[in-house]
Amino acid sequence: MVQRRLIVFILLFASFSLIYSSIAYYTLSRPPAQEFMAWGVFSASGSLSNYFSGSEANVPAGKSLSWHFAVTNRMGSIQYVQVVYRLGNNTSISPNATVSGEAVPQLGNSSIFIPNAQTALVNFTWSITSRTSRGGLILLNMTINGKQVSTSVGAVGGQKFRFFFELWTFDVASDSFQYGYKGQNYRVGVPLTVWFNSV
Amino acid sequence: MRFRLAGLLGILLLCISLFSISRQDDYGLSTQVDSARSPLVQAFVSVQEADLQGASPAQISQLAYNLNLALFYEENAIRLGSNFYANQSLELSNSTAVQAHRVADSARAQTVFDQVSAYSLAVVAGFGSALLVLEFHRLNDIARKIRLRRIRLE
Repeated sequence: MVQRRLIVFILLFASFSLIYSSIAYYTLSRPPAQEFMAWGVFSASGSLSNYFSGSEANVPAGKSLSWHFAVTNRMGSIQYVQVVYRLGNNTSISPNATVSGEAVPQLGNSSIFIPNAQTALVNFTWSITSRTSRGGLILLNMTINGKQVSTSVGAVGGQKFRFFFELWTFDVASDSFQYGYKGQNYRVGVPLTVWFNSV
Repeated sequence: MRFRLAGLLGILLLCISLFSISRQDDYGLSTQVDSARSPLVQAFVSVQEADLQGASPAQISQLAYNLNLALFYEENAIRLGSNFYANQSLELSNSTAVQAHRVADSARAQTVFDQVSAYSLAVVAGFGSALLVLEFHRLNDIARKIRLRRIRLE
């Protein structure tokens, strides 16, 4: 009789312990969440439009434009992020969700560390310092975040220049910045493009 | 009989502790740091490790602030060719890495403590529940006895 009671007790004890341990495991586990990074390029007025202060997309030499990127990290841990900027024209191959625009020369980059669940602002202040004409194409000398840069890609008549903005994140395994952010099975690129004309 | 029961309890507790420790080792896999990395990147890896170990958002924000400051110094060092900024960046990166290791250790200890507490509580609650189910009829007897004693007193 005593032995039977003991067996019943052990069975009950094991069952209850298993149930309570499962509850404990569920409580201690991190809730599943899809990891992603989101970002946008904002104009001086803080909106996702009106980048050229009402002058359509025409940018005269000497006019300074203060934009900024707002980058949100939802990757589950702190990220080392790099914003890469390139200047192309209407025939340049655009970066997409899988391939960066490496065919277009890079003008510069800005890096920042962003904790999880936070949004960081990265300044992008630029102006066209001067224009040079070569073979029917207009090439630009620019100042970006206080740094002088000369572009190697021109546009016919200075029309339809394109800024390509790319988000790169530091990959610990490869010890280098990689295009986009790490998705569930592959890296996800989230490029931005802003068109303008040099007048 | 008592020894058998104690033995079973011991095995159960051992299984739970092994389960907790194996989960810790899974986290530990990402702690390997390549010594050839720049101090800033090493500091970042340490902070990310602390973050994954469960450090509080406030602690990570403070460490991220230090990393951004070290990055600012590094950029200035490259732009101006300044040794002063390079040293500032190096010192801040190293101190941030040390802080991050401390935060990671404390977060890891806290996680182990939480797990041990939660699973111990689960085992104790399991024991209590089993006892309650098995001895429930005695509670009825006790209640009946109390009721009888009250009636007699009246």
